Amino acid sequence: MKKFMQIALGIVTSVGGFLEIGSVTTAAQAGATFGYKLLWAVLLGTICLIFLVEMSGRFSAVSKHTIVDATRERFGFPFFAIVLVGMVLVAFMVLVAELGGIGLSLQILTGLGFPWWAVPVSFVVWLLMWKGTFDLIENGVSLLGLVTICFVVAAVKLHPDWHAAAGGLLPSLEGDQKAKYGFIAVSILGASISPYLMYFYSSGAIEDKWDVSYIPINRVIAVFGMSFGGFLSMAVLITAALALKPYGIDIEKFEQAALLMTTALPKWGFFLFAVSMLFACLGAALEISLAISYFFAQGFGWNWSENLTPSKDSRFCLTYTIIILIAAVPLVFGIDPIKVTMISMALTAATLPLAIVPFLFLMNDPIYLGEHRNGWISNSVVAIIILISFVLAVISIPLQIIGG
Amino acid sequence: MDLIRDVLDKKLVDREDCPMGRVDGLVMQLGEHSQPRITHIEIGGQTLWMRLHPVFARLAVKLGRAWGPKRDGSVRIPWSRVITTGKQVKLDVEAKETGAIDWEIWIARHIIERIPGGGEEEEE
Repeated sequence: MKKFMQIALGIVTSVGGFLEIGSVTTAAQAGATFGYKLLWAVLLGTICLIFLVEMSGRFSAVSKHTIVDATRERFGFPFFAIVLVGMVLVAFMVLVAELGGIGLSLQILTGLGFPWWAVPVSFVVWLLMWKGTFDLIENGVSLLGLVTICFVVAAVKLHPDWHAAAGGLLPSLEGDQKAKYGFIAVSILGASISPYLMYFYSSGAIEDKWDVSYIPINRVIAVFGMSFGGFLSMAVLITAALALKPYGIDIEKFEQAALLMTTALPKWGFFLFAVSMLFACLGAALEISLAISYFFAQGFGWNWSENLTPSKDSRFCLTYTIIILIAAVPLVFGIDPIKVTMISMALTAATLPLAIVPFLFLMNDPIYLGEHRNGWISNSVVAIIILISFVLAVISIPLQIIGG
Repeated sequence: MDLIRDVLDKKLVDREDCPMGRVDGLVMQLGEHSQPRITHIEIGGQTLWMRLHPVFARLAVKLGRAWGPKRDGSVRIPWSRVITTGKQVKLDVEAKETGAIDWEIWIARHIIERIPGGGEEEEE
């Protein structure tokens, strides 16, 4: 029963990691501009993430090391420093976007502009980290994210043509707007295959004291949790295809994305969208802040745990305090969170090889994993992900300039 | 023992398993008539950043002098204090006494404990 509860909770909380401002905005843009045609990108991103998350959990459960620990130990400090700079810069931009997403949700709910919310929102995120435990962040806040199921309700209420939607699961070439099509596809993949999720998940396995007996649980959580998240992203895309595309509404502002719910749920749609985004972005902001702090603490060998009193892991706590403080600054000056989101998703795609290539080596290292190292199926999938990540790295920036 | 694989960059813990950083560098003694041997483990920003570029190391030293626990140079611990190597390196020392966690203590005292909730409660 205990393990069943762990699995159920793990699946539900995975949504918190999957659905955030990046995945919602990119899926809504895809649906509003290209109908069902980009569903394949969500599916591909979800499959990649299932494999990466499963491997991250297995790595930590077996080796009792996080991916960051092992990256520094196996590849040395000079290489680790490059990964650190790349990952932290991108994760920081995603954090700005998530804090902005919370601010924009509050702007919709209250009418007060999001720059006014930047400081209070950052303070609440910091306070939850300061006073909360890992369980509170992982389970409590993520459970609130369940409200995002309203995207599925909205999609079903709009009676989609399931046959046409299924056709979108296979990649197709777009006749017009090729650059924009490519840019949104890259952004969807960047939003789905987020390296910070791997680092967070691997650190979470250590926080939760996983061992080899957790390998089956880890597999179930990775498959069903990430599928659940991907399913919700697809619901956003389908809703946008039916509610926004017919009216030619292209999403450049957050308020336009909020419209996607009002066709299906005229009375509560706007409110539900704002609340869903509020909780999804809050969960993501907490996870990213933790992931960045974990990265520094594990890389430099500091004391770290979200379950310790702050004075016991002072450098870890100071890191998230500074990161959250700095992330609030651009928002106070009114930087558009949607633009930051789109840029950060493309940059995530561009920096993917930095995270995935060393990961392949680690997953095959007998010193860390012994008999639990990757088999040929997992290795083939990671090789394909690396191939995709290199393609994304090369095309993401030009596509951002041409189609973004 | 493969020094790069089994020792360098590995996590360091003291005899009570308290984390005290990573093996940032190793000091080797070269004798004319003897085999080279590892004499010390080094911990600290100066050694670590020197591995990237001397400019970073100089910056780390300047930062250390201007702010923080005012420690000159990296911490050196004799190799004879190594108890075990492997997934982590265990040392027969007390972390606090070596100076390896001076920054952790300094930040706790000067910043974290001054913020409400930073130090009073028991661990959950």
